Amino acid sequence: MSLWLLLLLPLVGACCIFPARAPLAKWIALGTSMIVFVMSIIMAVQFQCWGTSGICLRSPMPWINSLGLTLDIGVDSVGMLLVLLTTLLTPICIWGSFTAVSKRRREYYAWLLILETAMLGVFTAQDLILFYVCFELTLVPMFFLIAIYGGDNRAHASVKFFIYTFTGSLIALAGFVYVAWQYQVASFGTWSFAISDLTAFASTQMTSTEQAWVLLALLSGFAVKIPVFPVHTWLPLAHTEAPTAGSVILAGVLLKLGTFGVYRFVLPMVPEALVVYTPLIAVLAIIGILYAALICWVQDDIKKLVAYSSVSHLGFCVLGLVALNPIGLEGSVLYMLNHGLSTGALFFLIGMMYERYHTRDMNVIGGLAKKMPVWSVFMVFFVLSSVGLPGLNGFVSEFMCLIGTFISTPDAESYPGVLGPCYAAFAALGMVLAAMYLLIMVGKVVFGPLREPEHHHEHHVLSTDLSAREIGVLAPLAALCIWIGVQPTILTDAMRGSIEGVLAPYPAIVEQLELQEEVAIVVEEEQNG
Amino acid sequence: MNGLMQLISMPIGMPAVPIDQIINAPQFAWAGFILWLPLLSLILCGVCAAMKVKTKLPAIITILSLAGAFVLTAMLFLNYEGPVTIHLFDWIQSHWSDGAFIANFALYVDSLTLLWMLFVTGLGTLIAVYASEYMEHDLGKGYTRFFAGVSVFLFAMGCLVMGDNLLMLYLGWEGVGFASYWLIGYFYTKPSAVAAAKKAFIVNRIGDLGLALAIYLIWSTFGSVQYDVITTAMESHQHDAAFGGWTVNLIPYLLMLAAFGKSAQLPLYVWLPDAMEGPTPVSALIHAATMVTAGVYLIIRTYPLFFLDDYALPVVAWVGGLTALLAATIGMAQYDIKRIMAYSTVSQLGYMFLGLGVITSFGAAYHVFTHAFFKAVLFLTCGAIMHGFAGQLDLRKLSGLRHMKGWKIVSYTMLIGCLCLAGFPLTSGYFSKDAILAEAFVTHGPGFKVLGWIAIFTAGLTAYYTFRVWFRVCCGEKMYEAGDELHGEDPASFHPHAPRIAINTVLVIVSIGAVLAAVPYFTENTTEGLHGGWVAEMVNDSPGKHGLPGMAHGHGEDHHGSILGMDPHKAMYYISATVGFIGIAIAFFFHLLNRKAADKVRSKLLSSRTTRWLPTAMEHKWYVDEVYIALIRSPLWITGKVFALFDKYIIDMLIVNGTAAMPRIIAKWFAPLANGSVQSYGVSMVGGALLVGLLMLFMPEIVELIQYVSAQSGGGQ
Repeated sequence: MSLWLLLLLPLVGACCIFPARAPLAKWIALGTSMIVFVMSIIMAVQFQCWGTSGICLRSPMPWINSLGLTLDIGVDSVGMLLVLLTTLLTPICIWGSFTAVSKRRREYYAWLLILETAMLGVFTAQDLILFYVCFELTLVPMFFLIAIYGGDNRAHASVKFFIYTFTGSLIALAGFVYVAWQYQVASFGTWSFAISDLTAFASTQMTSTEQAWVLLALLSGFAVKIPVFPVHTWLPLAHTEAPTAGSVILAGVLLKLGTFGVYRFVLPMVPEALVVYTPLIAVLAIIGILYAALICWVQDDIKKLVAYSSVSHLGFCVLGLVALNPIGLEGSVLYMLNHGLSTGALFFLIGMMYERYHTRDMNVIGGLAKKMPVWSVFMVFFVLSSVGLPGLNGFVSEFMCLIGTFISTPDAESYPGVLGPCYAAFAALGMVLAAMYLLIMVGKVVFGPLREPEHHHEHHVLSTDLSAREIGVLAPLAALCIWIGVQPTILTDAMRGSIEGVLAPYPAIVEQLELQEEVAIVVEEEQNG
Repeated sequence: MNGLMQLISMPIGMPAVPIDQIINAPQFAWAGFILWLPLLSLILCGVCAAMKVKTKLPAIITILSLAGAFVLTAMLFLNYEGPVTIHLFDWIQSHWSDGAFIANFALYVDSLTLLWMLFVTGLGTLIAVYASEYMEHDLGKGYTRFFAGVSVFLFAMGCLVMGDNLLMLYLGWEGVGFASYWLIGYFYTKPSAVAAAKKAFIVNRIGDLGLALAIYLIWSTFGSVQYDVITTAMESHQHDAAFGGWTVNLIPYLLMLAAFGKSAQLPLYVWLPDAMEGPTPVSALIHAATMVTAGVYLIIRTYPLFFLDDYALPVVAWVGGLTALLAATIGMAQYDIKRIMAYSTVSQLGYMFLGLGVITSFGAAYHVFTHAFFKAVLFLTCGAIMHGFAGQLDLRKLSGLRHMKGWKIVSYTMLIGCLCLAGFPLTSGYFSKDAILAEAFVTHGPGFKVLGWIAIFTAGLTAYYTFRVWFRVCCGEKMYEAGDELHGEDPASFHPHAPRIAINTVLVIVSIGAVLAAVPYFTENTTEGLHGGWVAEMVNDSPGKHGLPGMAHGHGEDHHGSILGMDPHKAMYYISATVGFIGIAIAFFFHLLNRKAADKVRSKLLSSRTTRWLPTAMEHKWYVDEVYIALIRSPLWITGKVFALFDKYIIDMLIVNGTAAMPRIIAKWFAPLANGSVQSYGVSMVGGALLVGLLMLFMPEIVELIQYVSAQSGGGQ
């Protein structure tokens, strides 16, 4: 029952906000999300499923029996980690918005809380339709956050964000419904939308052609969300226009819905098709890494730069997912957390700068180390975390993703894959490019002679450098970055069971594929000779 | 080539340290404090920064912690009996059913590690003392930031040298790169410093990419990233003909790339001269004595892997030799004394790589050791001059320093440094350089003899440009011009500030070290058949032992090369001394006796159409930076720009927005149908009904037709 409490508490908080006075709204929101955070920590401490492949805290409730729908929630270890990321980032976002939002405050905090419920729903849903509902429900609060509190071009950005990702996930829904329908046909009219039922059915009973179509449908939903090249163009726009907290949640959690979706559905449901299309996905991911990195380099808008860097970074994450071996997958899940922490923090930092100077143009603003030393220290720190400096979090996950890709060769012993050294080598070029664009950005914004926009007035409310509240927002993220950088084993051990469970069918399938290819070659040779 | 082939097969077969000697040693757990002390000092510096401390407290903290690290290293050295592994904590681990990736935060202490750590922590402490005076004009401003950076550097360098696996090395590798970024960009309001810091980090990242890929390859080949496991595995594969393949043979080249990045070799040396934007103690410590030798350390540490491919070591040798020559020619034509020292560092590092390439890891390691001292002296004297003359570094604007009051120590310690660098007989630099040069003639390899002559020629150039500095700056008539870092002083009434006690003491100690660095060459060897003194003894316990003098490495009479019919080791003493004297003599003539002649030669070269390119190109550093910008940076930037436009206009506007606009466009076609006229609705209704009726009527036939067509097309395949 407690998982339901966790899910619904933010909604209750959102409801409490409306009758309250506007200045109180932020405190109610902060209080609620802090309670949720503490609850999630307690749940994590008592969590039984660390290191195993099981699903814990399961609490199903009846919904529509005739269609096999249940309100079934529960989390596996990977889901739990993402739940923790969500419950951590939400209060931080709320706390970080205290001075940034001045209009329609009650609504703002309410939307953030509703968003939290929706995100938690995605990570905990064990019923396909419930998952889908939550997946789409995240769009609504985000839409309003961008459309009401965003920048100048917010109307366009919010509509594009909504329609683009909505269209993608509609196709994914079609794929889900197809699987469910096939299941119903195969089990003589009994409907079920339980994820475990459908996964077991799709992975074993569907032909590889059917799987390929389902894969296509699911990917069109998740790839847009991640986003994978070439369906990424909504992201820079949405990020630039969204308010700070919106960007943080968007980068920190919402993009992970896509990768989580791949982990949760694509990998277990359609293994045979995935193995065939893995090289294609990997190539798209690598193109994304390099292409977005080069685009980052020529940006003038810092926020756009960081937004494109998300596209580049998530390429590594996708690569780790399709490496089809534990180290790659562990790296990928770790990447989801790390990207949430460091890119989230970068968006916070940009927001703090924007609040003071009302510009994000690197040609106008620069050399802030002189004026805002504390801000600059944090900026450099999170940039280094994002660049992947060993000792910080980014390195561990990037390294694991790349090494996973590297050893994912057909002749690997325990977990053969279909990628290999060449894929890893090209992706690793992204490391150099990341250093390039991020350090150029730091060189312009943090270092160099002080440049401030013309007609700049000191802010009335905000101090020149970061206030204690703002340091409080960033410090936990920084601490986590160091902790994960030094002790990643705790996290990778925790998720191991789930990951091995997901990967269980793959070695056999890859071997079979290799065998088929060998046979095909032999047959061809015989025909020719 | 034959000789080399023989060498390749032999070293790996040598009696190695038995694996049971490599033991876990929890009793040495305190060795971890060699890392924790600098880390602690970093944290305390952070506290100082937060409390806005305006005293020299950060310097004291840093000096104490570094001195502590040095003492601990010395204790390890005194208690040393054989390689030990000290496990500190688990770092990155991933296990699965029948495999694992394990990289722990553990230390591997063998004598090679100790050799490096001794001079890293020792010089680190001394240079921190020096910096406590040198940086005092920044008290309360950047002072704390500076010492925090030094602490970060020492921590990272410790991880690099003491780590027990390649991932620890990588941690240190990037860590020192970051510390270097931090300290080069110390004067962060100066655009050139920011650019130099950025350049250093990015160019190094290219090398790091090589290291990362090498780690992947090594792990997928040997199943481990731990040094001892790799070395053992290499030994077990020695007679395995099937072992190899292009991926395995790629390992040394990738490692090489990493080493060339960090140690500023062709083609990645361009960051090091620019790195002189940092404060001078940093240049002395990081960019001369310690960090830049990390590449040499890496290659010695993974030396057996370099025998995997026949051409790996010759490539190292050639890159080193050419870098030495190129950097020396650039150094000859510069006027900024600190930059001259920077190019001489690149050049000397080139010698070290030449040594590694011609299979004398001993020569390389020994040159690292002596170079650390004498180059530190040279940089520290440059720093003292820069400090005293308000940033003046132009050798045309300084003269006769040794006649000025308070500058005696600086002038004569600089002379010691110059003598060592120029390879003056009986100085430390003389012995270490000769160890390398002679080996170039001993070892058989592609063009190694040519390389040897190139290196000898470069030695002459080195002697010339080194003494060009000394004769110009320290000798001749008294003359000076203040630089541009006046801190509010009036340039007309400017008086140089002679260095005080901290700087002078450190200069004296380090130059004594530079002189005494010749001694380890002559100490008695305890290991049988080993020559080369203490340094050889230190390398003997490590994977670098394959390149030791006197050990089984093709030294049979028939393999022993010769130079002009003499034994190379003996001949080299005379040849290099002669070349050095010639270089010094030329410098003496042009830069002390007849300074105008140098300008005359230059203007003569410039006035002639055929020779004009030479001085111009040398003064412009052979336009390497410009070429890199034109060939790499600009095309990439343009690609980025094109991608950005492609992203905006093609992907986003045309495809995405175009697709989104489709419904509207299609709706426009059909909009005329909804014209409000009942008759046309009626017609379309009847028409539609008819169509449906017909379809239903002929359904079986249609289905048959489809099946027939599909069967046809299916059969046709």
